Amino acid sequence: MTTEPGYTLIVSPVGEFESGLVDTICAEISLIFGYPVQTASLIEDLEFAYDSGRDQYHSTPILEKLAESAPPDAIKVIGITSRDLFIPILTHVYGEAQLGGKACIVSTFRLDEGVSKAVRRDIFTGRAAKEAIHELGHTFKLLHCKDKRCIMHYCREIRDVDRKSDDLCRYCKVLLDDEIKRLAKTHARN
Amino acid sequence: MTGWEAVMNRTRILIVDDELIMRESLGGWLERDGHRVDKASSGEEALDKMKDVRYDILLVDIKMEGMNGLDLLKIVKENDPDAAVVMITAYGSIPSSIEAMKRGASDYLLKPFDPNELGVIIEKILESQARQKEIQYLKDQHKERTQFESMIGQSAAMRKIFDLIADAAPMESTVLITGETGTGKGLAAKAIHSNSPRLDGPFVTVNCGSIPEHLMESELFGYQKGAFTDAKENKKGRLELAHRGSIFLDEIGEVGMRMQIDLLRVLEDHILYRVGGTQPIEVDFRVIAATNRNLEEAIREGAFREDLFYRLNVISFEMPPLRERKEDIPLLADHFLQRFVRETNKPVEKIGRDALDELMLHEWPGNIRELENAIERAVVVCKGKQIKAEDLPIYRPVQAAPLPGDSLQDIEKAHISRILNENEWNIARCAGVLGIDRSTLYNKIKKYEIQKPL
Repeated sequence: MTTEPGYTLIVSPVGEFESGLVDTICAEISLIFGYPVQTASLIEDLEFAYDSGRDQYHSTPILEKLAESAPPDAIKVIGITSRDLFIPILTHVYGEAQLGGKACIVSTFRLDEGVSKAVRRDIFTGRAAKEAIHELGHTFKLLHCKDKRCIMHYCREIRDVDRKSDDLCRYCKVLLDDEIKRLAKTHARN
Repeated sequence: MTGWEAVMNRTRILIVDDELIMRESLGGWLERDGHRVDKASSGEEALDKMKDVRYDILLVDIKMEGMNGLDLLKIVKENDPDAAVVMITAYGSIPSSIEAMKRGASDYLLKPFDPNELGVIIEKILESQARQKEIQYLKDQHKERTQFESMIGQSAAMRKIFDLIADAAPMESTVLITGETGTGKGLAAKAIHSNSPRLDGPFVTVNCGSIPEHLMESELFGYQKGAFTDAKENKKGRLELAHRGSIFLDEIGEVGMRMQIDLLRVLEDHILYRVGGTQPIEVDFRVIAATNRNLEEAIREGAFREDLFYRLNVISFEMPPLRERKEDIPLLADHFLQRFVRETNKPVEKIGRDALDELMLHEWPGNIRELENAIERAVVVCKGKQIKAEDLPIYRPVQAAPLPGDSLQDIEKAHISRILNENEWNIARCAGVLGIDRSTLYNKIKKYEIQKPL
């Protein structure tokens, strides 16, 4: 995959995380998307998105703030939070992305379901990395994929996240490549 | 809305909710799930949108200002019984949801709902709709027959087509045939094959629009024994069956994005793998594709791959609609008459002057297929030796209500209304008479706001 020089993917952790988690996410997304990855703290906290009635954080305004705060050389930006996210119509979300847009976010709040973070840190970290790639995939216009092994597959249960691979299927690879080429053309025109 | 299905093979969902935030959050989730989503803030706006677009699924909030969800459900079910309606409700409105289920809603969701619950409901609906499509596909396959009638013609427009076919046939280049439904694109494809050096090889047709998406891969590429539960033995796909012949990809504009990627690859290197197979199979075929869609517009909207388009669009031509080659109508009508007389053994000898006048005046939105159906019906109902104007389904008596207008759309609306009323709103039968498919008919009913008489 040929990505554009001068552009980076920004990983923006909000809050503190277990050691190695953010580094693993950075390494995995660099591998899939081909862009260099940088970490940057774009948002201090998520209080502006807190809904006291639900005791959860509304992910959509967070995406808007992430997109606004992204530096000009950021091709995409992903926030990572340990808070529980929601969108108004649904009880919760693992993450949210602006489809074909700049920003996405992933929550680790529910990713330890069925595993002990202390004992099976590898599973927890693997889930977080997969969800991060999945949400970033949406910002590159990828939709949910029918292939259960593809990382863009929408998993009903967290166990299914463990079963899916950490890579895109061949169709999603072609579509990602198309989108990266399209972005390069658009940037060249501007 | 252009009327063009922007993203082919994707489910079209309409969210009807008077709360912007609900529409937006649900819409975003469904779009990431791969669906094409429109939003309406009221029942009235929903009905307005449904004039232009046919939706597979409607997610409707029960409690809305103005027309409520139950009223909307009733109208939707009357006009398009195949559309699935899922009611969205708050805890206080559960009795209304139960009432909605009795009135034909597919399911209901209590908000806020678990994403899994929504996913399961959508999947269940899509599976049921795919099964319906599969049944229709099997029926269509059963009645598929080879017809050459559309290629009859002495008009200048058809003479030009014959010349184009003669020029294109001996070449190996891919051909893309465009034109409205019922203009004979399949026959032109067959004519190209029959006049090509591949004449002795097979001519294999794939109707990309009618094959359900989940069957498409195994239909085209075949499968190896054990590739999936029903794969009891090896099966060649249609591309492999077309070896040393031609493959006709009809309704290519309906192919989904994944299949476009696979098709491009096989068209480029002529090597394929059966589903579940690891052995590369080299195939030698010529591709002829057809569509009634505007593929260039589809490319702009991201629904059709540009690389596939250029691979297909090496030689292209458009089949003329029947209204632009009316001088061919007497010849075609007589041809159909002879065929149906033979098939029915009825002593009908000719088409009367008044009936022929009607045929010449009609605009034929369903093109030759509609003409064929009109003659078939006329032969069946004809009482004498000569077909009269009133035997034709297109006949409009002089004393009938004044014409609503002279535009093609006015005439089409009046014609569709009459066919619907004559056939007691049996959609399948009407679609057959009009020579269009059911979803096109539904779209037209909505577009023209044709109401079923009480």
